[in-house]
This record gives sequence, C-alpha cells and structure tokens, in this order.
Amino acid sequence: MSEALKTTSKLVPAARKEGDALVASINGEIDLNNSPELRAALLGLLAKAPSKKIVLNLSQVPYMDSSAVAVLVELLRKLNGGKIFLTDLQKRVQGLLEVAKLSTIFKIVPTEKEALA
Amino acid sequence: MIPSRKLSTPPPLRLKIQSDPATLAATRRAIEMFAAQCGFDETARGEIGLVINEALANVIRHAYQGATDQPIELSAQRTDDGVCLTVRDWGLGVNPLDLPPKKHDPMRPGGVGLICMRQMMDDVHFIKQPDGMLLTMSRSRLRRKAQGAKEAC
Repeated sequence: MSEALKTTSKLVPAARKEGDALVASINGEIDLNNSPELRAALLGLLAKAPSKKIVLNLSQVPYMDSSAVAVLVELLRKLNGGKIFLTDLQKRVQGLLEVAKLSTIFKIVPTEKEALA
Repeated sequence: MIPSRKLSTPPPLRLKIQSDPATLAATRRAIEMFAAQCGFDETARGEIGLVINEALANVIRHAYQGATDQPIELSAQRTDDGVCLTVRDWGLGVNPLDLPPKKHDPMRPGGVGLICMRQMMDDVHFIKQPDGMLLTMSRSRLRRKAQGAKEAC
C-alpha cells in the first residue's frame, strides 16, 4: 500500500510512504546553491512521515557535490540506526560516493524496486 | 610517452566570479568544456568539474565564510599532457593541508572536497598569498585512476 506525500520542492518532485519506507525521487543537479533546499525538503518529508527506511531514487540526478553528500549523511543520522537506500545512480554520482567512501554507510542498489523488495 | 593527438590548443581560460553559490554550475560547465578541448574523456571531465566545484565551495564556505559578494579568479591552461587549474581568493588564507589530519569518517562528511581534489588530480598545491590563497592543481590525460595527488603543480 502506498500513500502519496506532498513535497515542497521541485528538487523532490515525488514522494510516497510505501509500507514502512519513505520513498522519494530527487531531480536535478545538486550543489551548494540548492542543497539547503534539498535538505529542507527531505527533512520536511521525514517529519511528516517518520520512517526507519528511506529510499531515494537518484535516476534524475546527473550531478551532486559534497554539500549534497552532507545532506544525505544528516538524513541518515536523523534515522538513528535506520537505513537509506540510494537507487538508480548515474555514473558521476556513483563516482563521488565511491571517493567519499559512502557505499559503506548507504545501501546502494540498482533499482527502487530492489530497495523495496 | 604521450600519444600524439590532433588537438588544437585552446587559449587559456580566465574567469572572474563572485563567491555566490549560484555561480557554481556555470563555472564547472565552463571548466568541463575546457577540459574537453584539452582531450579529456567524459569521466575525467566530470571529475575535473567536480574538483573545481569543491574548490570553489571551500572558498565560499571557509575563506569567505559564506559571503556571496567576494571575488574569485580562476584560470585553466592546457599543458603538454593535460591541464593546470588555478583558483585565487582574497579570503582568510587558511591552507586546509596545514590543518591536523583527521581520520575520514563517512558519517562526518567534512573534508570530502579535499579528498576529491587529492584523488582526482595529480598535483594539488595551496600557496599562501599576503592577502589570501592561490590553489593550483594539475591533471594529466594519462593518469591512472585514483593515483592520488602530489603536492606540487
């Protein structure tokens, strides 16, 4: 069962609660200019739909920088032992996550479907 | 030995921008385009763009402490086998390489920009100026992946 959630930013065009998971799609290049907007949108969704599991579909994110990484890490810390799944990564985003060694703290899976399985 | 390539030498690129995060996207695209003219492949261009983005973000956040109206000058120049980039600021002049080393903890994301610079460029050098900092970085087209940077340019 899935319940659509209203989002406050075009960087997060769609979000829903699916079972015990908060699922959101992110859209666009994320850098220091708009990462505060992404942070507010994601923390707002988590406040509306508390979850221990977050699935972020990054298929529409061609680029992110360390400020976006900081947002994801902050979100993970808010989960207090919960998990964040990152799916559908583009090559450049995957490269950054590897360099920052973030594959050790996030669950990186090929598709949203697999994250929800 | 450097394989011969028929690349026209692009004129050096010089950009004067303000320390406004809104300038980041256009600036990294300009640098990526320059890297393409220097013969870098798509992956390398993306890494060079990311490194410039991180260098500028560090200047904005640390050297200028978030002020959005301060000057930054960038240059990009083709070298015999790659590219040399410089970033000049007139901020606090702190060399991040002089700060005490911290063990990288993925749960504490600070320092990712510096890690990118060191891993994605061949040489990284912070040169303190009387009124700020000059960062120089270079990368060869022939570098091996994740070779890591020496501290010279």
